[in-house]
Parts: sequence; structure tokens; C-alpha cells
Amino acid sequence: MSDAKKIVLAEDNSTLSLLLKFRLEKEGYKLLIAADGKEAIELIEQHNPELILTDIMMPFISGLEVISHVRNKLNLQTPIIVFSAAGQEEMVLKAFNLGANDFMGKPFSPNELVIRVKRLLC
Amino acid sequence: MKSYQYIIDYFENAPTIIQLVWVTIFIFFVAVLILTIQLKFLRSRLRKNEKTVAEYRKEYESDLITYLYAGNEEEEISAEQQIIIDKLRSCTSDDFKRRIIVSTLLRLRNDISGEMAEAIQKLYFQTRLISYALPRLKSKKWYIVAKGIKELKQFQVKEVHDEIVIHVNHHKREVRNESHLYLVSLFNFEGLKFLDDLQTSLSEWDQIQLLEVLQKFDDQEIPDINPWLKSENDSVVAFALKLAKIYNQFEVKDALIGLLSHHQKKIRVDAIHVLSHLHVVEAKDILKNNFDQLSEDEQIEFFKLLENLCETSDEPFLLAHTTHQNFEIKLSALKIIKTLAVEKFKSLKYFSTDADYVKIYEFLEYK
Repeated sequence: MSDAKKIVLAEDNSTLSLLLKFRLEKEGYKLLIAADGKEAIELIEQHNPELILTDIMMPFISGLEVISHVRNKLNLQTPIIVFSAAGQEEMVLKAFNLGANDFMGKPFSPNELVIRVKRLLC
Repeated sequence: MKSYQYIIDYFENAPTIIQLVWVTIFIFFVAVLILTIQLKFLRSRLRKNEKTVAEYRKEYESDLITYLYAGNEEEEISAEQQIIIDKLRSCTSDDFKRRIIVSTLLRLRNDISGEMAEAIQKLYFQTRLISYALPRLKSKKWYIVAKGIKELKQFQVKEVHDEIVIHVNHHKREVRNESHLYLVSLFNFEGLKFLDDLQTSLSEWDQIQLLEVLQKFDDQEIPDINPWLKSENDSVVAFALKLAKIYNQFEVKDALIGLLSHHQKKIRVDAIHVLSHLHVVEAKDILKNNFDQLSEDEQIEFFKLLENLCETSDEPFLLAHTTHQNFEIKLSALKIIKTLAVEKFKSLKYFSTDADYVKIYEFLEYK
């Protein structure tokens, strides 16, 4: 388990976080959960994960700010998958401009997320 | 004791007005004290409540995730899932716990799709939460009815269609709105049939919400909107016009032309706008022949239509309106002439000395 690839998941919906934690841990990854962008940045700086999953709309610090921090301040090329809700198309474009690698529109299938995670971490 | 006696003596010997002021101060002081204690009590109760909700939520979240991952291919419901169903079912009789369970299920249901979303819906039935939502539809309190419909919509309970369709003309806007959204969310364009019987007005916001739901569906096959364009309910006609534009309903052009003589100006203007969008050439001659009888808004909209559908034969008509009193019409006429025939446009430089005309001409000349 100590060799498991680390994933930081920043999501304010605790039920969704728990579900994804179970699903991805089943696939052999180590999940670090953040309830907001602030916690996410702390976890990223502390653990240097192999992948970041982040929602766009979060309390304190948004997903866009998390991406910007990772790419511009920490200068990390860690793959980032963004979760967005309907009507946030412009935000998704901004996320890509900031350096996000992929996005998934809510509601999404956890199975599809696993496929995308595997593709980015292979 | 001595100072206490001094206060009493002071109060008794003071003039009545001073006594009154002191009494008032005392009353206010006591009131503030009582309110502060009450506020503190309320806040602590709310905090305690919040803490309890968080605890229950955590417990139900964990149960829900276990339920979702405890299934196996051999059995429809595994033993572990049955334990969770029984546990949640026993909690549903308590209003407080039931609300938390429903919100927990919804929080996840709204963010995920596929098999797991279906499993959550199944759990909603298995825990018999639906049996608490259904009686709400018959409640005398409108907000309970609205909340009941919303919950059934979120859990996609199609079976209660007949119970909900009776609320499409409810006297409360919120209930009507929820019932319309239920029908469209669950039955797609078929759900729009409620427009046939709609007697109340569909506000602009209601229309936007319905259109937003409709655009999410993969199947964009729209039913015949002719009856709605001919509806006696003006808001239904306005909504049908939006559908005609968004879904490019060229086949309803005759009904759209018919709306050019609608009793409401807004509908007539919108109809011209949609005809322009759909490039219905027939509408141009009808409006052109009738131009002087049109209201100013319709005339402006007609010129926007001409910008899309102009032909060389329209030149005399356009020329006649380059000196129209309305700025927008003047601008539009000159703009179209420039597009149709640049040489003709150049010859119009000194056609009028009107200040607006000169400004528009110079603007278009250098554009």
C-alpha cells in the first residue's frame, strides 16, 4: 500500500468523496481527501501526489485557483482532472488554459473516472 | 443596605418623569437580558442540531457507500445490503432522520450517473422513502406539495405522473413550476403536453428553466408545436416561439406567419424575430405590404429580418426608409443598401442633411 500512487481529491460533496475514495482505493490508489481548495493545496504541498482530482466550485479556494497554484507556484506537471457541473463550460475552458489535463461533467460515472485516472497514470 | 435605601429614597423623591425614565430603562434592560439569553440558547441549540445532522450524515453516507459496493451478481440484494436497507427503513419513521437520509441520497444522486445512480434510486424504493413523499402531494400546505414533487422529480419516480399532472394549474406558482419541471425532466418533450391544458401564465423564468432541462436530453426530437403556437394562453405562445427558434422548426412557418396578426405586440415582434431566424421569405412581402400599420417595435424587427432576407428588389423600399424618423430603422436601411449595392450607397452621401443620417452614413462609410 505504501507504493500505491497518491491521488488528491478536492471535493466539497463529502458523499461523493467517500464514494470515489472507496472506488479508487479498490483499484489500488491511495486517496487523500480535501473538503475545499485550501485543504487541497496543503495536501498537494505535503504529499506531492501523482494525480489531482478537483471540483471547480469549492469553498475558500476554487478548483481554478488550485490548478493555478500547482502549475504556476509549485511548477508541478501533475495530471489534473477537473469536475464541473452543467453551465460551467467557461470555467472548464479556463481550467484547460490554466493547465488541466481532463474534465468530467457532473453527473459522471465513477467507472468512467477510473478509466480516465488509469489512462493518466499508466 | 444603606446604599440600597439611598437608591429607593432617590427613586421615591424623584419627579414622575425621572421615575418613568428609570422604569423604562429597567424594562428595556430586562428585555435585552431575556433576549440575549434566548439568543444564546437558540444558537447553542442550532449548533447542537448541526452537530447531530453531521453525525447522522456521516453514518448514512457510510451506509450508502457500503450498500453501493456490497452488491453481487448472484443475488438481487446481498445480505449486507439487506441489513442496510432494514436499518435505513427503521430510521425513516423519524422525520429528522428521514430528511437527512433523503438529502444524503440526493447529494450523491445529483453528482453521479450510471449504475450507481440507478442503485441509489432503487434504495429510495427499498427503504420505502417514497411512501412518505406520496402523501405530500395531497397536503393542504402548498410548500409541502412543492417539496414532495421536487423529491419525486429528483428520484425520477415516473409512476406518479397522474398525481402530479393535476397540479399544472395549481394556484401557487411554486407548485406549478415544480410540476412542470417534473413532467419535462422525466418525460422529455412528451412532458410538454401539459402546455395543452395550461391556463396560468408561464413566466419568463419558468420558460428558461424548462428550456434548460430540455437541452440536456440526447433525444432532441421535438413534437408538433403548432397547437401551442395557436394557444389562447399568450405565455404558451411565447414559449412555443422560443422552441421554434431553438429547434429550428421551419415546418411551423404558417403558424408563425399567422402570429403576425396576434393581439399582443410582444408576440408579433417575437414572431418576426423567429421568422427572420428561420429565413421565411414569405413573411417579408406580408410585412412589407403592411409596413405602415406595424408598431415601431415591429418595424425595427422587420428591418432586422430584412438584414437577413434582403434582395435587390427591396432597394426602393429601403431607399424610402433611409430618412425614417426612427434611428434604428435609418441605420438598418442604410446598412442593407451598403450590403446590396455599394455604388448606390456611395451616391447617398448627400441624400439627407439630417444630423442622424450624416452620423450613420459616416459610421457605415468607414466601417
